[in-house]
Amino acid sequence: MGTIKAWNFLKGYVIIKIEGLTLERFLNLAATNDIYLWDINRVDYTILEMKATIEGFRALKEIVNKVGCRVEIVEKRGLPFILYKLRYRKTLGIGFILFFAIIALLSSIIWDIEIIGNEKVKDEEILHLLKEEKIKEGIIKYRIDKDYVENLLLNEFDVFSFISVEIKGTKLIIEIKERDLPPEMIDEDIPTNIVAAKKGIIEKVIARNGKPKVRKGDVVEKGDVLISGIISDEFSENQILVHAEGEVFARTLYSYKVEEPIIKTIKEETGRVFERKEFKIGERGIQFIKGDIPFEDYVEETEEIKILNLDINLPFKILVHKYKEVETMEIKQDIELIKSSNHIKAVEELNKQLPLEVEIISKDVKHYVRDNVVTTYVIIEVIEDIGVKRPIN
Amino acid sequence: MDNRMENLKYSISEALELPKDIVMDLPKIIMVGNIQLNISNHKGIIEYSQDTLRVNSNIGIIKITGSNLKLKTILSEEIVVDGTIDGIEIIS
Repeated sequence: MGTIKAWNFLKGYVIIKIEGLTLERFLNLAATNDIYLWDINRVDYTILEMKATIEGFRALKEIVNKVGCRVEIVEKRGLPFILYKLRYRKTLGIGFILFFAIIALLSSIIWDIEIIGNEKVKDEEILHLLKEEKIKEGIIKYRIDKDYVENLLLNEFDVFSFISVEIKGTKLIIEIKERDLPPEMIDEDIPTNIVAAKKGIIEKVIARNGKPKVRKGDVVEKGDVLISGIISDEFSENQILVHAEGEVFARTLYSYKVEEPIIKTIKEETGRVFERKEFKIGERGIQFIKGDIPFEDYVEETEEIKILNLDINLPFKILVHKYKEVETMEIKQDIELIKSSNHIKAVEELNKQLPLEVEIISKDVKHYVRDNVVTTYVIIEVIEDIGVKRPIN
Repeated sequence: MDNRMENLKYSISEALELPKDIVMDLPKIIMVGNIQLNISNHKGIIEYSQDTLRVNSNIGIIKITGSNLKLKTILSEEIVVDGTIDGIEIIS
């Protein structure tokens, strides 16, 4: 039924009034002439009211003449009549068209560029590069050649291994995957020394090429030459430069310190909350202040109210500042417990620092209790390769 | 003669399970509760007002009484009546 109504609205129809004495004959004639009439109502003994299509109304005239009754249009309904009226209200029509045009225009402009996944290259660098290619906020989104942008960024930055450029609504999203750069390789033709990367006590020297300069038990500082690439002849002054190669294992120390107070002040929420609302447009905001915060100690939390629960980026925000009242409390902790937790924390930190291929020789844990603070030192001794190639100048 | 012809038509439609309104050219009246009535295969309106509707058909005049009767559609084969229907009478 709804579709028929919608169709009639689109085609347009008239409500007409027919006055006469032989109205039944009129209806029969209309039916046999295939004129579609609907919602016929006998308002009075001599009056019929009905709806007819525009074409139907034109065809009715003949029948009306034959039957001898009067026709009167009560109302015109439907889209054709609305459009007809709009012809005399040009500004309204123009406004209507303008409205859709503006929406279409604004939604085809890039308003925001989002760059995800870059760690080694700064956002500004990428944006600068894009700007040189005239890709910036405010351009028409259909002009962006995604493949071109991808290739451009991949060529410009070696660190990027994968780039996907996507346009979501009015947002340009550039997703970047960076690759881990392999350690710098030095060509084997270039003469090199092997030097110490850090302080340590030499444990073992394996020189595959070059002349070892240190022995087991030597203490080396960072930068000391371990295997020299300069081989000199005892009998002549000629020096041969080679590409030194080999491993130098040394004992090195890793240490970490953790401090934890015995008496700790903890802020606990009392449950009383004071709220302030803020309306923010861009960087500017208006706070709606109703009285001072009635608490002495409080923590502030800011929450954003999502409009209609949609996850969209609007240029304005409604923020709620929640001031939660807190009570400060002092808690005395068990010393033994602190010691063990400090120990665990330190070992975890050290594990992050340690390179992959190392041999742990010893672990030393020391606790000091002084002035309400438990300090824990964890020292790990390991054997690792400390040799690093450096070209000879 | 006429009667024999009708009887024949009736038997054929019985035997072949054909709809009788088509074979025998009879009106078909469908009622939805007492609010809508649908007459197909009519032969024209004789009288229409808000209380009565008289429709000509092959079996005689179908008289519908009620209140607020409105003709929802009129086509050459079909009439749809809306309103509160109180009675149907067939005057042959």
